[in-house]
Amino acid sequence: MTNPFDFKAALLARHAQHVVLIHFPIALFIAGVAFDFLAHSTDQSKLAAAAYWNFLFATVTTVPVMITGLLAWQWQLEGQRLKGILLLHLVFGCISSLLIAVVWLIHQRVQGKPGAALPGYRIALEVLGVVLLGFTGHLGGFLSGVNGPG
Amino acid sequence: MRRSVFAAVLVAATTFGAAAPGSVRSGFAATPPKAEAPGIKIDNFSFGPAVLTVSVGSTVTWTNRDDIPHTVVSTDEPKVFKSNVLDTNEKFSFTFTKAGTYPYFCSIHPNMIGKIIVQ
Repeated sequence: MTNPFDFKAALLARHAQHVVLIHFPIALFIAGVAFDFLAHSTDQSKLAAAAYWNFLFATVTTVPVMITGLLAWQWQLEGQRLKGILLLHLVFGCISSLLIAVVWLIHQRVQGKPGAALPGYRIALEVLGVVLLGFTGHLGGFLSGVNGPG
Repeated sequence: MRRSVFAAVLVAATTFGAAAPGSVRSGFAATPPKAEAPGIKIDNFSFGPAVLTVSVGSTVTWTNRDDIPHTVVSTDEPKVFKSNVLDTNEKFSFTFTKAGTYPYFCSIHPNMIGKIIVQ
């Protein structure tokens, strides 16, 4: 019987919080990219603001995702040396999180500065971020067993 | 002539093979077959067989036939056995020296459970 007040048990076994939390940055970042594309093509400041807030919350929500992922590695696998899909998932997860933060920082620098333009290269970074996030999520889904039986 | 000799030898061999108690019909198995080490296949997010009964001193080998990494970890505290992460086709073996029931699970996928009964 699992103790409901055992932090490890609550966080990990059969309550894989990492798997739950990861949906927030993925959804927020993709929504942010969509809003930024729309803001770029329609030149509407409200859409640009929506993009900014999505990127901000995407960055914030990567923190608990990273923490729970690293804790799962340390506690469930006792920090053993990773290889294969697990290692790829870790590496791409870190790169994706960094890209999300960089994209938010780019938007943050022009926030509240009338007339300041966002650099064009951010679009490439945002697309790269979506691709990497998708790949990381795909590996994570594979690992978590969503493709497995029940 | 050759055919009839061959047929006679065949009949004799078959008759002798059938009459000998405990022998194998082919007549070629003079040594008893070796007992295979008990094995558990990890596939499709499950241990197969989920429950395995072995005798004391047996070595059980788990083989990961899944595309996904898995582990084999004793549920008991302190842990009786614990594997590293097993990639596809990697194996883990453990020798059970005491009788008892040993439940285990995959620490990456805690819903994957199994049990070794040692008698």
